[in-house]
Amino acid sequence: MTEAKSAHVSGSVLVVGGGIAGMQSALDLADSGYFVYLVEKSPSIGGVMPQLDKTFPTNDCSM
Amino acid sequence: MRLSYPSNIKIIFIPCTGKVDLIHLLRAFEKGADGVYVAGCLEGECHYNRGNIRARKRVEQAQEILESVGIGGERVQMYNLSSSEAPRFVQIAKEMTEKIAALGPNPIKLASDRKAA
Amino acid sequence: MNINILTLSEVQDIKGEKGNFDVEILKHPRYVDMEKCIACGTCFEKCPKKVDDEYNENLIKRKAIYVPYSQAVPLKYVIDREACIYFKKGKCRACEKFCPTEAIKFDEKEETTTLKVGSVILAPGFQTFDPTRYEALHYGKHPNVVTSLEFERMLSSTGPNLGHLKRPSDDKEPKKIAWLQCVGSRDINRCDNSYCSAVCCMYAIKQAVISKEHSDDPLDAAIFFMDMRTFGKDYELYYNKAKEDYGVRFIRSRVPAIDPDPENNDLIIRYSDEGGVTHKEKFDMVVLSVGLEISKETVQFAKGLGISLDDHSFAATHPLKPAHTSVPGIYASGLFTGPKDIPYAVIEASAAACAASMDISDARGTEVETKATPEERNVAEEDPRIGVFVCNCGTNIGGVVDVPHVADYAATLPRVVHVDQNLFSCSQDTQEKIKEVITENRLNRIVVAACSPKTHEPLFQETIQACGLNRYLFEMANIRNQDSWVHGDDHAAATEKAKDLVRMAVARASLLKPLTGKTILVNKRALVIGGGVSGMTAALGLAEQGFEVVIVEKEPRLGGLALEIERTIEGADVKDFLQELIVRMNRHPRIQVLTESLIVGFSGFKGNFTTEVLVGPGMYERKIDHGAAILATGANEYAPKEFLYGENEQVLTQIQLSKRLHEQGAAGLAHLAMIQCVGSRNEESPNCSRICCQNAIKNALHVKKLNPDTQVYIFYRDIRTYGILEDYYREARRLGVRFFRYDRDAPPRVESMDHGLVLTFRDHVLQRDIRLPVDILALSAGLRAEDTEELSSILKLGRNHDGYFTEAHVKLRPVEMASEGIFVCGTAHGPKLISESLSQAMAAASRAATFLSQAEITLPVVTAKVDQEKCASCLVCVRSCPYDVPRINEEGVSDIDEALCHGCGICASECPAKVIELNLYEDDQILSKVEALLEGVI
Repeated sequence: MTEAKSAHVSGSVLVVGGGIAGMQSALDLADSGYFVYLVEKSPSIGGVMPQLDKTFPTNDCSM
Repeated sequence: MRLSYPSNIKIIFIPCTGKVDLIHLLRAFEKGADGVYVAGCLEGECHYNRGNIRARKRVEQAQEILESVGIGGERVQMYNLSSSEAPRFVQIAKEMTEKIAALGPNPIKLASDRKAA
Repeated sequence: MNINILTLSEVQDIKGEKGNFDVEILKHPRYVDMEKCIACGTCFEKCPKKVDDEYNENLIKRKAIYVPYSQAVPLKYVIDREACIYFKKGKCRACEKFCPTEAIKFDEKEETTTLKVGSVILAPGFQTFDPTRYEALHYGKHPNVVTSLEFERMLSSTGPNLGHLKRPSDDKEPKKIAWLQCVGSRDINRCDNSYCSAVCCMYAIKQAVISKEHSDDPLDAAIFFMDMRTFGKDYELYYNKAKEDYGVRFIRSRVPAIDPDPENNDLIIRYSDEGGVTHKEKFDMVVLSVGLEISKETVQFAKGLGISLDDHSFAATHPLKPAHTSVPGIYASGLFTGPKDIPYAVIEASAAACAASMDISDARGTEVETKATPEERNVAEEDPRIGVFVCNCGTNIGGVVDVPHVADYAATLPRVVHVDQNLFSCSQDTQEKIKEVITENRLNRIVVAACSPKTHEPLFQETIQACGLNRYLFEMANIRNQDSWVHGDDHAAATEKAKDLVRMAVARASLLKPLTGKTILVNKRALVIGGGVSGMTAALGLAEQGFEVVIVEKEPRLGGLALEIERTIEGADVKDFLQELIVRMNRHPRIQVLTESLIVGFSGFKGNFTTEVLVGPGMYERKIDHGAAILATGANEYAPKEFLYGENEQVLTQIQLSKRLHEQGAAGLAHLAMIQCVGSRNEESPNCSRICCQNAIKNALHVKKLNPDTQVYIFYRDIRTYGILEDYYREARRLGVRFFRYDRDAPPRVESMDHGLVLTFRDHVLQRDIRLPVDILALSAGLRAEDTEELSSILKLGRNHDGYFTEAHVKLRPVEMASEGIFVCGTAHGPKLISESLSQAMAAASRAATFLSQAEITLPVVTAKVDQEKCASCLVCVRSCPYDVPRINEEGVSDIDEALCHGCGICASECPAKVIELNLYEDDQILSKVEALLEGVI
């Protein structure tokens, strides 16, 4: 990176949205040394995917 | 979903049906089980590629052996279903229970009962 | 452990700058104490208020206190304030009265908190299009017209019909179902969503196939579409299978209308075919394949943060910076940046994580917690001293099973020295009590008879670990999910079964051994194979997060296929971007570039690989040690054998055309024809190459810009400008580019005449052949994977029939290979656009970083081990392992590397000499359960 980093940087990350995309970002960051706040407006995470019966092309169940 | 199924079904957990061994199946009958079935993932969806295909073969082997020794090959079965198919799980449990009830008790058990009597 | 999940929460404001943001969060009350709720469901049973269940698309009811679905995370109940009788009328409180753990908190208030973070990722998701406004479709008025998401619930075994297909009006099993595509997509007449939603073609095919599988009687499934867009990796195969093996009917038609049959509940679909002829057909049920869109709330939220949105309200991103929003330090992924399917949403999510990490990698590890485990007590020499804890789970178990009786029975079992029964074994105070009991009685094996190990085993394992016991000296008997919940109608039978399950668990517990996963140090260097845009982006993604990278390119220079590309369809300059990337690569202190290099050897396992490379024209050998590898071997444009390519110089590929346009312009070019799907979607190469439709349109638009008088004709089978690319297709039509569809069996014919090229094609509207002289014929030649046959055999990697590397899981692990520590990105994985390749390259870097950032990794304990003294070297294990792990070593016996073993146990059950055992599932451990179950039968 060419630009200078500011003196103090936070080691936490905010992820907004607890669907598959938000969950994947959160897992990647938590697994690589950051603290993650995963903010979801509904009572549980998962997004739309848990509503799907099966997914193509493998027809795996979505849970 | 808490769907009811017959209480004579008891589950032994293994990581993959590919781990089911012929001795596991046969020992159950030796000890007096009336029926055993193996419930694996759908064919083509095994997490370990083809563990459930191997399991099916072993169940078929066990069927042959049980048939030849007079216990009856029908008493051991392989089923494939996915973890989201609770109603199908129940249907299989009932189907197997009915099948075994129709076949009657394990002949080994009858023999040992007779000996005891 | 390092993710704090804040549900029922909303971001109110974000202040600050890249590296340092202050985030204001508004937390809505759940009215249920998450610490106390044990999700027993008593409140749900007692709650008198029924409301629409949004998880089931309002097809059935739920209660005012509920969990969204049975596998919800967190699995805690919530009160729907809008529906709750107490909140409306001031009385009821039934849930509070019956809750066994006093978890209900009616007085809970909203809370505001401020968080400090270094980076922000936005993945707010989407909503499905509401088709109520399309009067001609009768949605919301006729019960048998449903949306695709409603239909998804109807198919689901957890849905309102438990997976039995019934139509809503009369519960009759439908015999004929129609799907209408593009409802709320590709439409500027009836709605504002001009883009393609990119997922509907595939989900409609999936639903049609599954419906056919679900039906007892043969079901007729028909999909009405404009273009079938099965452009993803191996999706065309799925489409072909649906057509050929399942008999799904695909009907190409203009936007159809629905007329309800006044006689009954059936629906008549009215549509016109390509020739303009109108047809009518009757169906039992119609599914509307609704598109995806960004909600008004999300638009408002994004605007509040100053995030720029595009014309369709998706987050505006640059094609060469696909994860960056307009605000530095804030990244975006998933549907928020445009319509896409699950694999690409997952890819973008990892890409955003990579970008977020690059900004704050100096602070890596500063805010995470690590857990210290106390020293382990050595119990190897001790006889088993088993403690059994039987749980009542409130009334969940205790209301059905006679728990005191089961506890008394457990005390009579061999080697059991202590028995307790608990109201709630999982509660915090019970955990403390269990710890005391273990220490006091010097217990060395623990059995908990309670709920499912799937949800609660880790909790109890941590408890026993905290008092010095190895976590694998633990066994659960599931007397709730597998007993009291499913045999509630027969208390005596349930109690007997509970005793059986406890006896089985105790028998196995006696035979459990302490297990410790081997730890291995992780080499922090990554190897990237392939120096195109994907490989370079992955390398920089890792290097700028602080990791060392060696990149191996077989050509003399970096750049790959992108060297041939001028601009993206959006107009971004690929040449400039590539130059900048190459400069950054060569200057980066943590990156070593090896060109003209070839991989000749590979060994090791995740965290510790060694790769042998022949470097440079001198081919000197080098060994590179690395902890992870990223495959970015790329793809090339297909060299056509069709349409006089190579014989007539007026016939070019799209890449050649693009170069020609940049070098010579389009002056004097009167007639330009393009043929799509050359070398794709055919016998030899059945898949779609994904990028060619937009490539053709990109060049067509360029020609029209250079010379508006040029006549451009595009011959296609389906135009697959998915997502926002649809805008360019519409623009091309507006500028007069003419599109003619051809059937696979009747492509246009090309002849080389004295006066030039002549094309003959069938016009579907006029129903006759037309001859067309052209100056240039551009072939949309598909992509072909780089030849990686040797590489894949050296690295032992799976490839599909097209030669693209096979990822570990199509949807959930789209950048990982089945062998751990190896990742894939770009066109090595499948055809894709540059922007998509860049996302996947960053995703691969992110996934590799989760690995490389650990000092050491602990290997799983469930692995196979060989008793080598008894091994007969019969090779059965070598042949049966799905992952090629067992090897015959120097001593001539089988050796299973625990770092490579996946723990399926197949080798153990195949071994004819029975000298392989799978840890935790040893034969005597399994048989002990069988024998305990059948104890006394004979």
